Amino acid sequence: MSFRDYDKKTFIADTARDFALRRISKRDFLKKMALAGVGFSAFNAGLLGTGYQRGKGIISSAEAQTPEEMTKWLKDVGAPFKGSKVRYTSEATPPTVVLNQIKNEFTEPTGIEVEIEIVPLEQVLAKAIQDVQGQLGTYDIYYLDQSWVATFAPDTVDPVSYYKEKPDLAMPGFDFDDFSAPLVKGLALYDDKWVGIPFDIPIFITMYRRDILEKLGIKPPTTFDEFTAAVKQITEAEKANGIYGTGLQAKSGHYSLECDWTAAIWGHGGGIFGANKKFTGNDEQGINGLKWYQEMLKNAPPQSTASTWDGQFQMMQSGQVALVNSWDEFFPGLDADDSKVKGLWEPMHPISSNVGIRSVDDVGFGEIPNVGHQGGSILGLSKYSKNLDAAWLFMQWACSKEIMTRCTLLGGFAPMRISSFEDPRVKAKAVVGPGTTRHLEVVKWTIDNVMASEPDMPLWAGFSNNEIPVELGKLLTGQDYGGDAKKCMDNVASLIDKAVEDAGLL
Amino acid sequence: MTAAVYDAPAPGRAWLPRWFTSEHPLPWLLPATALMVVFGIYPALYAIWLSLHKRNPVLRKDVWNPSANWLKALADERVWNALYNTFLYTGLALVIQLSLGLAIALLLDTDRRGYGLLRALMTLPLVVPPAVTAMMFLLMLDGSFGVLSRSLYALGLLSPQYPILATSSTALGGVLLADIWQWTPFMVLIMLAGLRSLPKEPFEAAAIDGASATQAFFRLTLPMMSKVIAIAVLIRGIDLFRIFDYVKVMTDSGPGTATETLTSYAGRIYFNGDFPYASTISVITLAVVIIVSTIFMKAFRVRL
Repeated sequence: MSFRDYDKKTFIADTARDFALRRISKRDFLKKMALAGVGFSAFNAGLLGTGYQRGKGIISSAEAQTPEEMTKWLKDVGAPFKGSKVRYTSEATPPTVVLNQIKNEFTEPTGIEVEIEIVPLEQVLAKAIQDVQGQLGTYDIYYLDQSWVATFAPDTVDPVSYYKEKPDLAMPGFDFDDFSAPLVKGLALYDDKWVGIPFDIPIFITMYRRDILEKLGIKPPTTFDEFTAAVKQITEAEKANGIYGTGLQAKSGHYSLECDWTAAIWGHGGGIFGANKKFTGNDEQGINGLKWYQEMLKNAPPQSTASTWDGQFQMMQSGQVALVNSWDEFFPGLDADDSKVKGLWEPMHPISSNVGIRSVDDVGFGEIPNVGHQGGSILGLSKYSKNLDAAWLFMQWACSKEIMTRCTLLGGFAPMRISSFEDPRVKAKAVVGPGTTRHLEVVKWTIDNVMASEPDMPLWAGFSNNEIPVELGKLLTGQDYGGDAKKCMDNVASLIDKAVEDAGLL
Repeated sequence: MTAAVYDAPAPGRAWLPRWFTSEHPLPWLLPATALMVVFGIYPALYAIWLSLHKRNPVLRKDVWNPSANWLKALADERVWNALYNTFLYTGLALVIQLSLGLAIALLLDTDRRGYGLLRALMTLPLVVPPAVTAMMFLLMLDGSFGVLSRSLYALGLLSPQYPILATSSTALGGVLLADIWQWTPFMVLIMLAGLRSLPKEPFEAAAIDGASATQAFFRLTLPMMSKVIAIAVLIRGIDLFRIFDYVKVMTDSGPGTATETLTSYAGRIYFNGDFPYASTISVITLAVVIIVSTIFMKAFRVRL
């Protein structure tokens, strides 16, 4: 099998179609996607497939097309850009996968072609960096993870300003106020500029196996201490049956491990940076958080240290773990028809800290400590784009109320817009079943009340993908530090403080 | 008359300067030289140029500072760790692949019926793209459902508590498995070619003198194969030194930095946007390959 670009794309497309038509199982789908080098992508697309209903197309679960008035508007404003091509590269997050499927609804009335390049997350970053470095304009729209927003802030057009500047291209009723305020603050804003439009919001919630907790007489935990006790009790009672208390995404050197770590230290009253912009992961609270994580690792499947979010989801879906504090986007897949644990997982508010959360005044670089770690992303309009206006039209369409709601309906993942949460079609799917939205109430509460955000600073993309997860990996797998959390974090502190100082950010 | 015929310019190319005709070596060298300049020399020079700059991550500008990256590399523990891992990986892979390759080649070096097919089948792993091989082994070594891991557990060689790719002491071995599976056939092919080109007479004379198979192997086969072995080691060694695919797909340099090689470290830095420092590590890799290859070629008197 050749994995040249074209072959890879057709392979992925064929695999996705086979999965959508239920010709192959989810396991086969994930394996094939893994073979094609699509990591998290496959996991997300796996969730999407769960929206399929027999006898209907994959898109038909949304039961709608782009509304007539929007199509008419697209036709009118898109005419001057007919024949142009909009390109954007993204990880295969659920909304991206849906957009890729329904992009013809935009292309047909406007004549603007849309090319969505789906690659693993680290490649999205590399491509975006190269593009902005050379100001090439290869990509008209950037998919920006929340940890990169500050890095790319100078390279994007502020969508709110552009909306006002170009009234002839402004989509009627686009309504920026409909985006959840915490999401705008945590994801899209940097130095009071909208770097892009919120597009995706995976967020940490707590999920538990109702049957196992009932069997062992454990109350669903509400705090870190209760969670720890429950995890230990489950491991002790069920390990012989192949079930562990919890599962982690602790792959050394991967961003997923960094996400787990931040959630752990925030939950123990710690922070990443202090108000003086020095690294604080090595203070007392930070060390307590890391020690807690080391304890959790002892109660998780050994494969956890080789697993990213994909692996963690598979642990949950295959019934290997019973209590997890992680991404809400796992949930629809847990209720899928081919899930071994369909209907057995329950969502709940993220466990709260026993010692309190560090105040935003005590942390640096715009960090927001809390228990609802978010891993959202935005769509940014490249200021180097050669098709800026055509790209802007696509971006408005992709982020419009109707399209975003349809994305949620199809995959069951959390919407960006308040109106989508309230949409009766979304509420109607809050039952056990494929593409369920029964976790969204918890998600909305988490976003509105306890959402946490990583620092906004230009070096963060590097720290969160390299220094922090690599050194944590050395600690957790026993390669270095002899299990001493403090020693590990002191080393991370020296690496980060030096880099911050060298960059003139102190 | 004859002289006049030889001196006359070829019909239709009288206007070409001599250095542009087929009699001159230049036109023959030009395409290869152009390719080498565009795809080899220019990128190498550009990498060296880039390594003399320091990245300002905030302004995203590369500032001229010739010593910054080189001093940083010298003080960077991860560079030394990566260099160690690269040598270890290359050394282990070479020893295993060479031993297995020679052993299999000796077994296949016969004209008996069916052995031609076996020799052809040996080439199959070579046509699989390394990234796909890595993905196959990643799945086979998965701690939960991987068939290889389960077999190793069953044999008592590994414990499920320590998945091979997630444990720092075994991860490099896991990556090596994929490399050995894919590239041992390459060694087999070279060794077979060498064995088949050996003269028969010394072996016949040794047989008449009563030499055993072992004696013939150590006294005749190995010495006569030494040049072939040296060239195989050189080619494979250079290739192994720039190992990237297997590491990237199977462990992404982890756990920690247990499988981080020079190229995978450079790749990680590159993906994070520090192009000058990534170039510095690439240039270091190139320099080490050139130095080690030159020493090897001198020591074993290899002439390419």
